[in-house]
Amino acid sequence: MMDDDFQKRLLATFKVETKERLAALSSGLIALEKATEHEKRQEILEAVFREAHSMKGAARAVSMAGIESLSHALESVFAQCKRQEIVPSPALFDLLHRTTDTIETHLYSSGADDATAEKSGVRELILSLEKGVKGAPSPPAPPPAPPQPEYRDGPHPEKPAVAGTVRISAGKLDSLLHQAEEMLTAKISARQRAAELDEISAALASWEKEWKKVRPAVRRLRKVQQSPAGRLVTDSDAGQLGKLLAFFDWNHAAVKSLENRVHNLAKAAANDRHLLDGMVDALLGDLKEVLMLPCSTILEVLPKMVRDLGRDRGKEAELAVTGETVEIDKRVLEEMKDPLIHLVRNCIDHGIEKPEERKRRSKPACGRITVAVSLIGTSRIEMVVADDGAGMDTAMLADVAVQQGVITRDEASRMGNEESLELIFKSGVSTSPIITDLSGRGLGLAIVREKVEKLGGTVTVISEPLRGTTFRMVLPLTLSTYRGVLVSVGEQTFIVPSAGVERVARIGKESLKTAENRETVELDGVALSFVRLADLLQIPRKEGDRDDDGLIQLFLIGSGSSRIAFGVDGILGEQEVLVKSLGPQLPRVRNIAGATVLGTGKVATILHPGDLVKSAAKGAAIPAVALSRAEREEVPRKSVLIAEDSITARTLLKNILETAGYRTSTAVDGIDALTQLRTEQIDLVVSDVDMPRMNGFDLTARIRKSREIADLPVVLVTSLDSREDRERGIEAGANAYIVKSSFDQSNLLEVIRRLI
Amino acid sequence: MERKRGKNGRKQRQDIDWQGVRQRLDAAAGLLDRGVSPEGQKSILKARALALAREPHAEETAGGYLEVLEFLLAYETYGIEMSWVSETLPLKDLTPVPCTPPFVLGLINVRGQIVSVIDIKKFFDLPEKGLTDLNKIIIVHDGGMAFGILADAVCGVRSIPLAELQPSLPTLTGVREEYLKGVTRERTVVLDGRKLLSDRKIIVHEEMED
Repeated sequence: MMDDDFQKRLLATFKVETKERLAALSSGLIALEKATEHEKRQEILEAVFREAHSMKGAARAVSMAGIESLSHALESVFAQCKRQEIVPSPALFDLLHRTTDTIETHLYSSGADDATAEKSGVRELILSLEKGVKGAPSPPAPPPAPPQPEYRDGPHPEKPAVAGTVRISAGKLDSLLHQAEEMLTAKISARQRAAELDEISAALASWEKEWKKVRPAVRRLRKVQQSPAGRLVTDSDAGQLGKLLAFFDWNHAAVKSLENRVHNLAKAAANDRHLLDGMVDALLGDLKEVLMLPCSTILEVLPKMVRDLGRDRGKEAELAVTGETVEIDKRVLEEMKDPLIHLVRNCIDHGIEKPEERKRRSKPACGRITVAVSLIGTSRIEMVVADDGAGMDTAMLADVAVQQGVITRDEASRMGNEESLELIFKSGVSTSPIITDLSGRGLGLAIVREKVEKLGGTVTVISEPLRGTTFRMVLPLTLSTYRGVLVSVGEQTFIVPSAGVERVARIGKESLKTAENRETVELDGVALSFVRLADLLQIPRKEGDRDDDGLIQLFLIGSGSSRIAFGVDGILGEQEVLVKSLGPQLPRVRNIAGATVLGTGKVATILHPGDLVKSAAKGAAIPAVALSRAEREEVPRKSVLIAEDSITARTLLKNILETAGYRTSTAVDGIDALTQLRTEQIDLVVSDVDMPRMNGFDLTARIRKSREIADLPVVLVTSLDSREDRERGIEAGANAYIVKSSFDQSNLLEVIRRLI
Repeated sequence: MERKRGKNGRKQRQDIDWQGVRQRLDAAAGLLDRGVSPEGQKSILKARALALAREPHAEETAGGYLEVLEFLLAYETYGIEMSWVSETLPLKDLTPVPCTPPFVLGLINVRGQIVSVIDIKKFFDLPEKGLTDLNKIIIVHDGGMAFGILADAVCGVRSIPLAELQPSLPTLTGVREEYLKGVTRERTVVLDGRKLLSDRKIIVHEEMED
């Protein structure tokens, strides 16, 4: 039964297989062109012949006639080479490469390979292949291909079924890894739950303390209750007291047993947490190992690329690749593929000179490009792309950068050699006089740096005029689990990637100084630019307890002269973070790299260190003078309590009131509001009417009935716009009644100003 | 309370229209007596099966009804075609995203997935009308795009006859015509989900420049 589904699966397998064979073919061809020894050539010819042959068989199995006949043509050319009937010319190599390219395009052209145009292309290629075997009278039309793949030689090169090895599509493994990574969320939540249970345990311990305090009183009351009737209390009072004391005993026992249970639960949660920690870490570690691939997967495209490009540009270049066997995390490899190709392209396009030029500079006509991958220690790799070409002219780079407005002439004149070289990583700087399909748009190296840094690596460049250029990338061996520093700004929590944070610190306020209208801090004897994260991100500052301990908390990011200290309200800790995108609607947001789900289930945004430094350098932050003035403003602020169950309405009201200069606190319903009113100094309450547990009318009535806060002004904000409700509000004792549908900021502020 | 309900119950029992009940029972018995022939039974069942198995055809919605999720936003009723809606949720925690335009309200966690939430009023530049609850999120999606729309309340799903849908009245709503599928007789503003989801303007893509 060749149903559609099966056919589809078969075709998919065929594509994977053929892709591999094509890769082997093209590297074989490159090697063949270079090989000089007869034996070596024969060996390679044998290998490519087999590849072509197997490809032919496979193509027939899935009825890809085009690929089949092309493979067949390739096969017969190799066969003749093997028999030394022909010696391949450079032109023939070109043709052979073109053939593999054509097969590859066929492979991806929707599977149905019978479009006439393609067919004619195939026919043409086959004809030229046959013709290419020039002066070869002996082999006429190739004989019909053998029906089944047959292997003439003894030990056949077909993949021997290695015991214990299975082929699994990379996509499936990726999905597994993704799922394993999602387990991090479970791990982080488990940690949070365990911590929460510990908190409850602690709260119960403080209950115990309070209980001990009242115990003497209870004992005393018990004596009173047991004293002969009539002496201290009446009979009926003694009865009531007895009930109360019995309840006290029961209460104590009940809370004690709860305490026990919570304690056990906390222990169990801690155990679960440890177990989960270990399991998730082991699972992730193993999966990452499964996903390690040899570098050859991205290096093998290079030889052909260098060859093709060199030909196209009229340059000669020889590529030396080392370290193909080094195994790296598949995701690192995938991310590095484009940067690597870009760098090698650059070598040919900008580095290697034309042969005449090279001869004039007394260098060998053929340029040399090296790509070397090696391990550094156990957790990092180094990838070096070097050429022996013209090198970079730093003076010209600086000139171009000035022309393109990336830096000012002044800045350029102050730059050292190294700094000028760094310019090539800036987007918009290109030394290429024309824009080609290869390079010259001045974006490439900026993207290379971005990709490398995103992986947590670094890229540096060394260049000597006339001697060549070397790009050195240091990358992590595996994409380690992302760690982030949690910081708080106002009421929000942000995460700064740990890799980007040089250090965190808490320093005294006195080390904050203003220089050239910008704030600076002194850290270990070095003055650093200081930017408040809240200003940079334009977040309303948390009022009240700001800086009240005389300390400034900060984290340091950036390197060299561009190090910047970012001030936050609190450094909360460091934890593992599963980075997620912001969703398809927010593909790229300034200063934000992504988001994650915290243990509490809340979402926190992850900051983009690179952007932060750029934003800070741009002076997006408000000048220090304005800030300190705001800070010095010590007028006691009136405080307003907002009781509102809708989070958006609550936030809106809060913003309006804070902007108007009030201190605010919030409550989610009437009960919550009452609790806060008991403990905090509040000057006015703004309350919604419809709220769970206790509505605005009841809240107002309770305030009016209380002893301490009976005069507290209450403003009701409501969606109920009816006379009765208005009357009910007045009856309950509200000072003002604002209907939501006619809500207007100035209206509310006007009312509040009149009341306090 | 108990006693009162008991009394009411007794009273109701007396009120039962026994005459009517008997009549209905007789009618039913009569129908059963007449019976349905096996063939008749078969054809009835077949008709029912067909009716159940029928897939709603595209042309039917085009010519007939539009299934729309209705929601309240700032004292107006809006609607969006059900085919774009993946779910509705109560709004619990919203994390604001700094450095985004005002119409981006923030991020929510939907079973581990992060979804951005927008305020379509701000996106459409509609005037702020009062203070509202904004307690619900409607998640809309097509193949590639997905985001949440903030709403005051979700009213439910309704089939709107296409014939009833009229083009926008310029004075009725500020929603520009391009995002509008139409307005119903009850003034429900039906949004064009496809346009909204494929609008490039809703996407925030701001690369940092050097």
